[in-house]
Amino acid sequence: MDLLLQFLVNGVVIGVFYALSALGLTLIFGLMRVVNFAHGDFYMLGGVLGWFVTERLGLDFFSGLAIVAVVMAAFGWVIDRVLIERVRDQGEEAGILLTIGLSIVIANVALLAVGTAPLKVASPVSEAPLLLGPVVLTRGRVVALVIAALLVVASHLLIRRTTLGRAMRATFQDPMAARLAGIRTERVYASTFALGTTLAALSGMLLGSIYSAQVSIGGTVSLKAFVVVILGGMGSFPGAIAGGLLLGVVEALWGGYISTNLVDLVGFLLVIVLLLFRPYGLFSLRAERA
Amino acid sequence: MTFERNGLLMLGLAALLVPLAVHDQYLIHLGVMVLFYAVLATSFNLVTGYVGEFSLGHTAFLGIGAYTAAILSTRYGLPMWCTVPLAGLVSMLAGLMIGAITLRLQGPFFVIVTLAFSEALRLIADNWVALTNGPMGIAGVTPPVWIAHLDNVHATQAFYYIMLGIAAVTVYFAYRFVYSSAGRAAVTVRESRYVAQSIGIWPFAMAMQAFVLGATLAGVAGGFYAHYISFVGSDLFGFAFMATMIIMVLVGGKGTLLGPLVGALLVTVLQEYLREAQELRLTLFGIFVILIVLFLPRGLMGFVAARRASRKTARDDLATRKTLHGGAR
Repeated sequence: MDLLLQFLVNGVVIGVFYALSALGLTLIFGLMRVVNFAHGDFYMLGGVLGWFVTERLGLDFFSGLAIVAVVMAAFGWVIDRVLIERVRDQGEEAGILLTIGLSIVIANVALLAVGTAPLKVASPVSEAPLLLGPVVLTRGRVVALVIAALLVVASHLLIRRTTLGRAMRATFQDPMAARLAGIRTERVYASTFALGTTLAALSGMLLGSIYSAQVSIGGTVSLKAFVVVILGGMGSFPGAIAGGLLLGVVEALWGGYISTNLVDLVGFLLVIVLLLFRPYGLFSLRAERA
Repeated sequence: MTFERNGLLMLGLAALLVPLAVHDQYLIHLGVMVLFYAVLATSFNLVTGYVGEFSLGHTAFLGIGAYTAAILSTRYGLPMWCTVPLAGLVSMLAGLMIGAITLRLQGPFFVIVTLAFSEALRLIADNWVALTNGPMGIAGVTPPVWIAHLDNVHATQAFYYIMLGIAAVTVYFAYRFVYSSAGRAAVTVRESRYVAQSIGIWPFAMAMQAFVLGATLAGVAGGFYAHYISFVGSDLFGFAFMATMIIMVLVGGKGTLLGPLVGALLVTVLQEYLREAQELRLTLFGIFVILIVLFLPRGLMGFVAARRASRKTARDDLATRKTLHGGAR
């Protein structure tokens, strides 16, 4: 029973980060309809940059986080304006191929720059364990968890309450009508892509402070983010969060009770089963059939 | 149609003659790999290019075929002429099963679920040690006895001709499929699902035919690969093979029969050529892919087809103008 609680808590911790990176992807994949295979590499870049600014430049964690956010937002904006914009109306394949190419480039440039070794992002607080009854947590995890939760709330507010957020929602409902109403949709697309990139990168940096960042992780992270987005329903915020938590908890339980080798299989099985029975995800906004 | 048929025949003839001119084992090995990838790309193109559903899980069938051949050969000692068709058969059954599940979905959902299947299979291949020998892979898959007796160059040449035979059969099947009423129906589904349904085409059945045919051909290629390389590992299910296949089809031009063959030739040679650049190799490869998408979105054959079409229109215009002038005089 004690172990069960510990597994659940571990699952929730991982799940929050799955949710955060999937929020980024639900914007890019669910709303913009770019099947973004470079998403995991944005996540990886966040971790590597985080390591660079905290360990190499010696900044503290929070200013490092801010720098990573700004740099990655700019990076996402440029990627969208230079590359994604050119294939916007050409269907999925062009986007898939483009982002696969991008992913190969990012992963290999990062490999040349920092090598394959795991890189530890400096943690904001000491790694002292916290005992909550039978459950063990470290302070670093709690802080990272709180930051992740704040980021989720912040992006929710950004989309629901600001002018930019309203422009985004208008654009994804009907780009033509949005343009007629005077919204510069190309900027909205670029901002959305930048926001998605930033969320992935921050998730990578936060998780890098708990475990470590690794250059080769991109592909796995992309796949898991896709799994979470599909579990939750395309473009759905609550769906991405619920999907992330679900995947994290199920993986932790599977790893704890069944087999640690096949943990990565869980997500794929979940997606296959889900699409058979609820092809539009758990929480889709529109009842959109696959 | 005639352009495509003549092109295919000429490529086949050239491929037949290559080993007569080339005696370097490495170059012949490259030839074998080109043919192997040509089969893979052609089989992938059947679903992607003609039905228009982007299957990212096509490596599932390559891997299933390769593992089938490897297991049958090392455990039960079956010869190659037996294992390769059986590899195709097992892949076909897997194609029927996976297709029945995934083809109910379309667009991005289909893309991700097919990918989920191949990743799940990769994890199973890595973990079901009793069957697949786990991450160690299956080594020592033997070539046929008569090839084992030949010296290196001739053995590679023999494999080259076997692979050429498989490629010829593959292209023949693909050609017959594409220019049959089923193939045309598949293209209708690709161009407009609603139109297809309204004239009585059942999209699922069309997609299924192409999917199963593609799976079978990929399985046969996998079976051959197991015997040629003599080692099978779970990387066959991995994304690297998938990316190579996608790039070949899109560089060559999807929805054409010549495209994947040209793409297989170009990309294999390019990958070898980029070995010189060592660490920069993959980076350059990625940049190359991005440039292709941006500047040659319909692939090389798409470009050629567009040129031919515009020249034909120009010629027709000229002819029309001449007749009109003639009529006026």
